[in-house]
Amino acid sequence: MKRGKKKAWFYSMPFLIIVGLMIVVPLLYTVEISFTNMSIYHWKDYHCVGLDNYKKALLAFDSGFLPAFLRTLLWTVSSMALQLIFGFFIAVGLNAKGLKLRRVYKTLLIVPWAMPAYVSILLWRMGIFNTEFGLFNQILKQIGGKPVNFLSTNGMAFISCLVVNLWLGVPYMFTMMDGAMQSIDRNIYESAELDGAGFWKKHFYVTIPQILPILMPVIIMATFTAFKQFDIVYLMTMQTGSKTGADINTVITYVYEKAFITSNYGYSSAVAFIVFLIILVLYKTMNRREFSISEQ
Amino acid sequence: MTGKKIKEKVKLILLNIGFILLSFLTLIPILYAFSISISGSNSIISTEFHILPKTITMDSYITILTERPFGRWFVNSLLLSALTVLLTMLVAVPAAYVFSRMRFVGRKRTLYILLVLNAFPAILSMFAIYRIIKTLNLLNSYMGLVFIYAGSMAIFVFWNMKGYFDSIPEAIEDAARIDGVNDRQLITKIVMPLARPSIIISSVLVVIYVWNEYIFSTVFLSGAEKNTLAVALYSLQATDYTRNWPLFSAAAILTTLPVLILFFLVQKYMVSGLSSGGVKG
Repeated sequence: MKRGKKKAWFYSMPFLIIVGLMIVVPLLYTVEISFTNMSIYHWKDYHCVGLDNYKKALLAFDSGFLPAFLRTLLWTVSSMALQLIFGFFIAVGLNAKGLKLRRVYKTLLIVPWAMPAYVSILLWRMGIFNTEFGLFNQILKQIGGKPVNFLSTNGMAFISCLVVNLWLGVPYMFTMMDGAMQSIDRNIYESAELDGAGFWKKHFYVTIPQILPILMPVIIMATFTAFKQFDIVYLMTMQTGSKTGADINTVITYVYEKAFITSNYGYSSAVAFIVFLIILVLYKTMNRREFSISEQ
Repeated sequence: MTGKKIKEKVKLILLNIGFILLSFLTLIPILYAFSISISGSNSIISTEFHILPKTITMDSYITILTERPFGRWFVNSLLLSALTVLLTMLVAVPAAYVFSRMRFVGRKRTLYILLVLNAFPAILSMFAIYRIIKTLNLLNSYMGLVFIYAGSMAIFVFWNMKGYFDSIPEAIEDAARIDGVNDRQLITKIVMPLARPSIIISSVLVVIYVWNEYIFSTVFLSGAEKNTLAVALYSLQATDYTRNWPLFSAAAILTTLPVLILFFLVQKYMVSGLSSGGVKG
């Protein structure tokens, strides 16, 4: 299997054809649509409008793209901070000396990762946040409070989505952190303890510097997952027929909304291409090491 | 000395209490859904509130299994997953092996493009895909969906498998070749068995992806007889108007079980089978 250029292309051709047809062609087609006024009124008789769609997205603040972009940045930063903090303390707890039920806790806490994500999100939306029979409102009712419509105002909806995101994302994070902590040499802790380091000092000067290099790829990946978040915001607040009234679009849900809800295909495609370029730039700066490896 | 020991005991007890609380909090959405699913249909509307159901009944499960085409949805999801896994693995694994082992002109450039495309969420070009599929008359057909799913999952599997093949020393294959093993035997007897953990994990992740996928399937499928579990569950949701929350919970739990079982079955391969996130070159 070592030589033979023809053989190499022959065996990878089906793969390249599928990727070409299903990813590259739609991408190029998206770029083409982005220069037209295609919409529900111009399904067939659309024409080229130059850079109009791009201008609308980038220069008009009230078109909604720039707010969605800023919101996505806030979303990414806050969900990463929450996941890292919670993941870290769970992993530290699991690694405490003498914790006999470690495996049991690990299995229980990993369950959200094993659940189908969209089922979990729907369970949260209906079981926990629902205005009438959601658990939060049931409890509020019991203690004599008024029911809160968690998903109808922007601030509350954003926080509710962050909670769900934390619940979904933390099992992966703490599993990876736990794995990294297991690889730390115990002797380092012993000498740190001899030097009189307490809990915070020990972890700040030993654990974090030790696990950070191992975790870098995981953190980068999780950051992109957060940035590309679609399911939570869509299923919690903007499902067809049951919009909750909150507008907490991320860039990806914004693209979806413009295409499939307000049917402005040309504009949606322009935004999609801008988002793709943003992801690409972020990806290249964050994965510089990986990119250089592949170019060897 | 004993003072220190007592202090450590207390610390451990507190830690255990903390973990028990945390585990309970984590499982609440699932436990609550389960409790609703066995509580029958009327208890929700009553003003009384119970974490645990007053009466236990399997009515919702019986309704979902007999009065709704749950079996049909299940088979549809299974069929869609199986076709996607088959197509994805058949195209992606050979390509990953070739790109890992052989050196040829155009290899580096192709890898670079594949790395860029790996960052591209398929949902961004969903409208373009919709228009293409509609023009090809593949709307409302599994063929169209299988190709869409295979397109995005193939890149993921390619990178994951290539990373894994890269980590298998070539010396093993060289040694086998010297022993007179031919190409076909090399693949079936040496390479595939070695790559087993990664093949298993990649396939399972493809299955879970298809099982979970609702956005393309809700937009692209329209006939009720074509509904997958994800689509059915999506339409079963209790909105504020249609309170079928017990029915929905029962369906959600039945949908989740196969995935949960699959996940815990392959959990031991999770670390070895995923080559550091599948993003590395």
